[in-house]
Amino acid sequence: MPQAFKQAPWRHQVLSTSRTALWIVGFVVLGGVYLAVNSKVASAGRELLVLERRHELLVRTNGELNATYAALISPDSMMERASYLGFRPALPIEIQYLLVEGFEVSAGFEAPRPLTSEEERQGMLSPSYTETLGEWISRFAIGGDQ
Amino acid sequence: MRLWKSKLAQDEQSRPNSETAPADEPLKKRAARPTGPLVATNKIGATSFRGVDPPSPTSSGTTNPVSRSRIRVVTLGMGVITVGLLIQLIRVQFGPYAPVFAARGDVGSSRLERVIPARGLIYDRDGRLLAANATSYVLEVETRQLTAASRAAIPEVLSKVLLLPLGDLHDQLNRDWVSQNQFRIRLTRSDQAGDPLPINVDKYVAAVLNEFLADPYAPDLSGLSLVPNPKRVYPNGELAGHVLGFVNQENEGYFGVEGYYDEWLSGKPITISRPMIPPEAHAQPNPPAGVNLVLTLDMDIQQMVEYELTSAIKSSGSVSGEIIVMDPRNGEILALAAYPSLNPNEYEPWLVQEDGLEPVITPAVGAMFEPGSTFKVITMASALDAGVVEPDSEFLDTGEIEVGGNLIRNWDGEAWGPQTMLGCMEHSLNVCLAWVASEKLGASTLYSYLNAFGIGRLTGTDLSGEIAGQLRTPRHPDWTESDLGTNSFGQGVSMTPVQLMTAVAAVANDGVMVQPHIVRQIVGPSGAYSPKTIVLGRPVTPETAHTLSEMLATSLEGETAYASLAGYRLAGKTGTAQIPGDFGYDPRWTIASFIGWGPVDDPQFLVLVRLDKPETSPWGSVVAAPVFQKVVRRLVVFLEIPPDAVTG
Repeated sequence: MPQAFKQAPWRHQVLSTSRTALWIVGFVVLGGVYLAVNSKVASAGRELLVLERRHELLVRTNGELNATYAALISPDSMMERASYLGFRPALPIEIQYLLVEGFEVSAGFEAPRPLTSEEERQGMLSPSYTETLGEWISRFAIGGDQ
Repeated sequence: MRLWKSKLAQDEQSRPNSETAPADEPLKKRAARPTGPLVATNKIGATSFRGVDPPSPTSSGTTNPVSRSRIRVVTLGMGVITVGLLIQLIRVQFGPYAPVFAARGDVGSSRLERVIPARGLIYDRDGRLLAANATSYVLEVETRQLTAASRAAIPEVLSKVLLLPLGDLHDQLNRDWVSQNQFRIRLTRSDQAGDPLPINVDKYVAAVLNEFLADPYAPDLSGLSLVPNPKRVYPNGELAGHVLGFVNQENEGYFGVEGYYDEWLSGKPITISRPMIPPEAHAQPNPPAGVNLVLTLDMDIQQMVEYELTSAIKSSGSVSGEIIVMDPRNGEILALAAYPSLNPNEYEPWLVQEDGLEPVITPAVGAMFEPGSTFKVITMASALDAGVVEPDSEFLDTGEIEVGGNLIRNWDGEAWGPQTMLGCMEHSLNVCLAWVASEKLGASTLYSYLNAFGIGRLTGTDLSGEIAGQLRTPRHPDWTESDLGTNSFGQGVSMTPVQLMTAVAAVANDGVMVQPHIVRQIVGPSGAYSPKTIVLGRPVTPETAHTLSEMLATSLEGETAYASLAGYRLAGKTGTAQIPGDFGYDPRWTIASFIGWGPVDDPQFLVLVRLDKPETSPWGSVVAAPVFQKVVRRLVVFLEIPPDAVTG
């Protein structure tokens, strides 16, 4: 024989509290993940900004060091130092020449390429950072994912 | 679950029996019970779940002091944080920097920036840096951050550190910039012409000012900031200054290589949107960089040539001068010195000349002169090539000749009697060359040859500011027959030193005239490019060139022995030119010059020495030829050219 039955009020409370807690936990987990990802993005962005500034500073410093070095080895400075060390320019009659058949003069100095060449820029960023989800799926579908 | 059940069972057993509800009691009544264990039964009547009230600190009627103190601490902490946030919000909204924050907010999450690529570097042929990039700092003021104290302190500090007029700085800072919507200004100073220029300070001064800004006990410099700015520097100072030109504060190149290759060197500035919120930061595109240049200059030769030029200027009392060294085979300019020298690091004085004349930078291409007797090389080459004279053709020099009604005399006013063409060149006889031009060549043939030598036309050299020179031909309305006579020995015709070098190089280089150039290699992002030698023409045959070279080598060994060098066979010609003015030729001053090349059998260098208004002697053979000798003595060492006896 069936018997009347009713849940105890505390049980309703427990259930509703659990449901709410579940939602909250879900939100907290999602929020946490979102926050973690965003904080990583933010810190990466901040690091990028810092690195950009540092790069600019290093480029400036490098330029100044190059200029300082060039001034130190300028012909005037070298001549002065050579004179100080007791050297003097050689005269034609003081030089012994030896003819070498087939000797070829080297091609000479070649200047370095500018710092921001296209090749360097392309090599800076991995395609993983620019590939969209669709591109990744299509690449995965055709078996190109290694 | 079992453990929980057994725990509940224990709890149940530990409670008094009166608390246990009977199974047959109405459910409604049982539900009304406020506290105590509740029991739900199923149809079987067995107990399935039991609920137990959690132990509560309040249920027992007592207070937990630990928990309450914790709550107070947490509440206090949160309160402090909240108050801090409120204070910060009020400060941002209403504080002294509120306009700055507001302006920044108006801009949005990013700001547009113009990114200027690093200017290309310039090297000499051995890789020594001639033009580099450094940093200067411009002084900017955020006008909304100025305080009463900083309005007074900034001019005071800057005037003392930078030795600038206090009043001018004070005026700049105390204008009502904000009402003019000027929130950021650049402090300026006046140049020599009175025009405002941004104040640029080097890194050392910037470090001092930064220390002032960071020191809380230093004068209040609120609002002042130092903004890095690219600056061109020339590590060798005055060395090759006229070749390089200079770059102004707006990063624009003028004169010389900087001017000619300005667009190549400066790259292409771009405008980027730089995010100010870190999560939106991303890698910014780099602007296309300027190319690097390798010049044909050899800095050792350049330094030697500048030293010899300065010495010659001082010893001869000249006011100015030039020495140019070129490889006649390919047109490469190995050295180009001009006096007064130009320091590209401090170019401003050059722009304001005392006499009000326009400044001439890189005079080798930007200033013309009447070459005088060095031009006879071209006249004689024309005559030999046309076949109207031979080296031993005879001429009776009477000391004067009339051409077009104009009486022409020799440099010494004397009659040299019977002469061959060799003697005419050796003694530099004006009368003889005027005779060759007027009686042998004729106007049509002579000017045709001069045209072939490129006289009166641009050479197309890669130095900024080249001018074409002046040559009146018979087609010119002002041309008269007397021009034919004077032009034959280099008067009445104006040309640049590089133009003269180019024409004479054709004689040294088997009759092949090549374009002079200063850049040997251009290196860009996509690779290196080396300009090829450009042949401008073949004005004379190789035979004519050899013949004239031999004539000039012989004459140099005789009359102009001051220019010869033991062990090396050289060819050359002196020049002494009168200087034209508004009222005819200057009776006192001359331009003394010498142009020569060597070794004659295999010419590897061509040297032009030019001294303006020498005091010690007006003659090129006296003041310019010895300079040529000194230069060549060192030049053969630098170029590793063995004596003729070694090469056979």
